[in-house]
Amino acid sequence: MKVLLIEDERELANSIVNYLKGNDVICEWADTLESSLDKISSHTYDCILLDLSLPDGHGFEILKELKNKNATEGVIIISAKETLQTKIEGLNLGADDYLTKPFHISELLARVQALIRRKNFNGNNVVRFQEIEIDTLSKSVKVGHTQIDLTKKEMDLLLFMIGNQNGVLSKSTIAEHLSGDMADMLDNHDFVYAHIKNLKKKLHEAGCNDYIKTVYGLGYKWQ
Amino acid sequence: MAVTQNLLDKTLRWYIFLATLILLIASPVFYFVTRQMYIHEANEHLKLRKKEFIRYHLPSLHQTDIALWNRYNRDEKILDRKGGSRKEKLRTVFYFDSLAHDYEPYRELNTPITIEGRPYVFSAKINLIEKEDLLQGTGLLFFVLITTMLIGLYFITKVLSIKLWKPFYIGLEHLEKFEVDKSASTRLSQTTINEFVRLNQVIENLIRKNTSIYNTQKEFIENAAHELQTPLAVIQGKLETLFQQSSLTQSQSEVLEKLNDAVARLSRLNKNLLLLSRIEHDQFSESENISVNDLLKKHYEFFSEQAAAKKIRITVESSPSVNVTANPVLTEVMINNLFLNAIRHNIEGGYISIQLKETGFAISNTGHHSALPEQKIFSRFSKINPSTQGSGLGLAIVKKIADLNRWEIRYAFKNNWHTFSVNFR
Repeated sequence: MKVLLIEDERELANSIVNYLKGNDVICEWADTLESSLDKISSHTYDCILLDLSLPDGHGFEILKELKNKNATEGVIIISAKETLQTKIEGLNLGADDYLTKPFHISELLARVQALIRRKNFNGNNVVRFQEIEIDTLSKSVKVGHTQIDLTKKEMDLLLFMIGNQNGVLSKSTIAEHLSGDMADMLDNHDFVYAHIKNLKKKLHEAGCNDYIKTVYGLGYKWQ
Repeated sequence: MAVTQNLLDKTLRWYIFLATLILLIASPVFYFVTRQMYIHEANEHLKLRKKEFIRYHLPSLHQTDIALWNRYNRDEKILDRKGGSRKEKLRTVFYFDSLAHDYEPYRELNTPITIEGRPYVFSAKINLIEKEDLLQGTGLLFFVLITTMLIGLYFITKVLSIKLWKPFYIGLEHLEKFEVDKSASTRLSQTTINEFVRLNQVIENLIRKNTSIYNTQKEFIENAAHELQTPLAVIQGKLETLFQQSSLTQSQSEVLEKLNDAVARLSRLNKNLLLLSRIEHDQFSESENISVNDLLKKHYEFFSEQAAAKKIRITVESSPSVNVTANPVLTEVMINNLFLNAIRHNIEGGYISIQLKETGFAISNTGHHSALPEQKIFSRFSKINPSTQGSGLGLAIVKKIADLNRWEIRYAFKNNWHTFSVNFR
């Protein structure tokens, strides 16, 4: 998986690049409009992460360029701007997703994975981890040959954890991922525990190994 | 506080007071002066007639002529002098008038004269105006005068003053309607009166200055909140990088989790600030017909999940289709904020009751056993319970949204239930 990160904030870019690298995603970084256009013209990526306010221009220029090229790259806008108008304009210009700063990088990774799954729908929407097999299109989960019945939230949680399998996910990160648009409203993350417990139970009943580890004080880890 | 009156009423009151005072003082003065002058004039007249008599008639008058004289002269008589005074005498006397059946006042001058050696008195008299007549006349005159003057003053005050003071009242109205968060023209009406020109200038400057301070503050909040997003993103990113270190001790992990919560709270606060300033910037002006039922259903699952964590039971009572014309994003925010508050400020194992009708939306919850300070809860950062995670902006946003749609929002506390109700009208 190869991703281009267009972001002018060096420190944020560093964190993102490192995190993605830790999860087996190759991540290139550009910090200006010019260097980004340069990279797009000579390489192809699975996904582009785009900050809108760049020192030498607006990120929408890149969307227009990609449209001109009939490029297949998926684009996720990462911006501090949160107005509906910017969102709509970005999506109209061909962006696939919109993530407002500040965000959890684990959330960003989950969005990248989901986007890539959607883009490569010709056969490649099955996520596998050891004996677990998730078909994201038909929304079905199998452990070995046993079909298990998960709720939408549990399925979401499973995908999120497998997607971020090399890192620790804090309760608040998981809570925000599961709540989507409503993440801003959260101040109680206790419900995460209930979902984790249910998921663990269902996987265990199907004879699956216990991959969900509790990291004391931090959250959970998939390993 | 003292009883207040209109400026014009007060002026009129003083006019009436002054007019009455003039009437009371001036009419007796006028009466006495007139009377004095009148009597003086009568005296002079009588003396002149006496002089005429002495010069032209007396020298040729005989005792035998006296009867004839008295017969044809009504007001000049020659009378016997019976040991009376030898001095000339002026006095006011009353004589009965048999025709008018009334006593009439006369001014009388008695002068001792001698005709052919015998002493006589020449008595000349002149009819005076009756005192009552004079009083009546004076009274009437003054009454008519003052009344005319008052009516005149009244109309001058009403018409002229209203015209003169018009710029003042326009300015006043303008100030009354002025709201710092609503943009309105600062131009007041043109006037040629110096004081009002000055007043208008002061008002215009004041409005302009206030609006500009308000706008600067508004922009500052928006810019600050916006500029904070990126550093917040950096902090969150770095925290997540730290999370991935495998060598973390338990106490380090705990510190990290606390930091993470604080950053989440900070970014929530920041987003709410941004939302508030965007509402103030009218960035949610487009409205459409929306179903409140749908908005309530949209995140019902999320909220019941949150409520379940606190063992809170929710009951919903709603009319089948409640529609309002408003901005969908803001209406959703409003309902979400109220719903969230009902959970956040609830007690473990408490209740929430939601009522949705065509006329409005009401959400009640159990919680603290005392009412919240109604005048404070809708202002920014007025957190009643400092231990909760709220940003202190939730209700301020709700109020802003309600105001924007001209919905009435109310808080009530009854039987240990806190109720927020929005009246769609």
